[in-house]
Amino acid sequence: MKNKQVTVMRIALSFLLVAGFAVQAVAGETYKMGLSLAITGPTSDVGSPYAKGAEDYVKYVNDEKLLGDDKLVCFIRDDGYKTEITKRNFEDFLDEEIVFYLNYSTGSTMALRQDFQEEQIPVLPASFHAGNLEGNDYIFLPIASYSSQAVGLAEYVAANHKGSGKPKVALFLHPSAFGRAPRDDVKKSVAAGLGIDLVEIVEHGKDLDNTAMLKRFQSKGVQYVISQTVQPPVATMLKGAQSLDMIAKTYGEAGKITFLGCHYGGGPALVSLAGSAADENYYWTTSYKMMTAKGPGRDAQFALAKRYGRDDKLAKDANYTNGIMVAQVAVETIRRAKAKGKKITRAVLYEELLAMNGFNAYNTLTTVGPVTFSKTDREGVDTLQLYVSKGGLFYEVGAPFESEYVKKIKQ
Amino acid sequence: MSENRWMATGNFFTSYKAEQRIFMTHIDRLVFICFLVALFAWPLFFKLGNKYMLVIDSILIAIVAVYGLNLLTGFAGLISIGHAAFVGVGAYTLASFATVLGTNHVLITHWWPLMILVSGVVGAVIGGIVGLPALRLKHLYLVIATLSFQMIFQWTINFMTFFNQGQTISIGRVFWFTGKVARKQHYLFWYYVILVIVVVLGLAVRNLLRSKHGRCLVAVRDNDRAADAMGMNPGITKVYAFALAGFFAGVAGALHAYLWRGVGFESFTLHHSISYLAMAIVGGLGTLVGSFFGPVAILMLELQVEHFAEFVGHYFTAIGDVATAFRPLSFGLVIVLFLMFEPRGIANWWRITRSYFKLWPFRY
Repeated sequence: MKNKQVTVMRIALSFLLVAGFAVQAVAGETYKMGLSLAITGPTSDVGSPYAKGAEDYVKYVNDEKLLGDDKLVCFIRDDGYKTEITKRNFEDFLDEEIVFYLNYSTGSTMALRQDFQEEQIPVLPASFHAGNLEGNDYIFLPIASYSSQAVGLAEYVAANHKGSGKPKVALFLHPSAFGRAPRDDVKKSVAAGLGIDLVEIVEHGKDLDNTAMLKRFQSKGVQYVISQTVQPPVATMLKGAQSLDMIAKTYGEAGKITFLGCHYGGGPALVSLAGSAADENYYWTTSYKMMTAKGPGRDAQFALAKRYGRDDKLAKDANYTNGIMVAQVAVETIRRAKAKGKKITRAVLYEELLAMNGFNAYNTLTTVGPVTFSKTDREGVDTLQLYVSKGGLFYEVGAPFESEYVKKIKQ
Repeated sequence: MSENRWMATGNFFTSYKAEQRIFMTHIDRLVFICFLVALFAWPLFFKLGNKYMLVIDSILIAIVAVYGLNLLTGFAGLISIGHAAFVGVGAYTLASFATVLGTNHVLITHWWPLMILVSGVVGAVIGGIVGLPALRLKHLYLVIATLSFQMIFQWTINFMTFFNQGQTISIGRVFWFTGKVARKQHYLFWYYVILVIVVVLGLAVRNLLRSKHGRCLVAVRDNDRAADAMGMNPGITKVYAFALAGFFAGVAGALHAYLWRGVGFESFTLHHSISYLAMAIVGGLGTLVGSFFGPVAILMLELQVEHFAEFVGHYFTAIGDVATAFRPLSFGLVIVLFLMFEPRGIANWWRITRSYFKLWPFRY
């Protein structure tokens, strides 16, 4: 009797074990990636929607089983825009055995690039600094670099200036590696023949009043200001310019200043911050599609935001798009590797990213061009779109473009 | 002091020599040795992730920096809120070599002990120069002088292209007898290096405080006129206190550069200077053990607050700004609470605990 009981128990245990393994096999693999960014602290107005974009898209991938039975885990950590914390987060992610890493700031990307190289891990940062690509093989810029953006805006200014002589331009930069990123390339482009007169380069502080700077611009005859910073300082500057009646009502209006901005220095969030100072005639460039214009990208983004309980403001935020886009690229890379029956490793994902070109280019719906990467080109979306604000919304100006002078100076 | 060095219970001494012992009893020495053995041996038995090894290494580096600040502020009574700039001087000394000679120059990768020493010496020289105003200034005025140094340092680094305008300057991987220290061994290797430096410099500080040079610092702090009357030179003592603090900070800076494999401006801001001061206050100003407790307490607090702020930020997104404020709030609160309720710092709790065991079972 006792032997019979033992036998029954053994069978039951064996069944449980087999069932356990079977469930595990059905559950599939778990792929891990990490994202460290400024959810709080400086630039958190960019980091917070960015994090939500990536978070929502990863949830969507798992909920909709876009990777089949496999699961994607994305660790999202706040680093408060401090490189030391970013490094700690990165080490933590490595301990978790991530296969893909999403970084954020220019400073931390530059500081950690040796680690990325040694770990041979593909990295997509939120920083579009062209310098990230130097001395490193594993960093991929999601869209056109800050240099392409700033020089592209300067090219637009040179081509569309109505007055006599060269247009007088000032650069308004964030006092960090991020802000300074395009500075030298703009200078090089001017030296290479770009028809603008670069009057002043200003690194802004935390001032709440820019009267002195704006008056100085006026006295020097500045007609265009190109901003490479985040939205709050641009909003402060625009409000100051508005109170001094210095904002051009039409592009290049004589005696007034036309304001232009790179990706992080514009968008719907800027209009929210600056109000009427930014809702007319602010020129802005990015590689992302505008979520105020109808299209499949906008519909998909709005649906995603609604699905995960995000408000309307976030749904339209360009940095929400930004976060979604980098997660999209990471997921697409994993999906392609899986489709080829490869085991998902850092090396495989790296190779897969490098193969993302030609017929294998990736259309994200949220960008103005396809994402293309290769051994010689690690800037994702090469084209930029110029937008202008009208009635608080941004509208396309012309067709997507690429900076000619950036190509020239890189040769 | 009791004749029985194992069972000493009181605080009475029969000679100056007895009073100046590093270890009052054999038990103290034994406990210290056991503690050291434990510190050296635990990584062999417990494997910690790189994140926590990085935190531990950072705490050890902060201990080296706080040694210097404690000598300056705790023992010599000269308040400095530019200590992170001194640490930065050490780090940027190494970074300057890397910029001029190359990131992987043999001097940086093979002669790293020498580079750490050189960074300390440069820190000491700059410390001595910055200490010159101490000849004429006291109290709040001296604080402003050190603050000025912090500002000048930040401005210099942030605007000079030689220092890459504060962006990271890379430092190459070092070599050991076994070859290049690879990424896998990096944190453990530096744990042992920094631990050895902490022990050696800790013993150096303990011995300094037993010497006339150490007692000079305390005498000048307590009453510089009286110290002058007794034949000491308060001016030189103050400058030398700054130089000492600069040396420790310079060593800490070089270690920081090697550990993080790069030097960036944002590790040496005014916020970091205040953090070092907070570590010295919370640990216990004017005590050697305070230099250990302070960095552990403040850096662990920062880590926990970070986790908490992250938690709040994720689950209560509407109050993200409050999460941003948690770090400075908790940090300030801890300093205020310590100043109000335990101005002698954690070192005093340690003293009470030791007294309890020393007198046990005869409590009074």
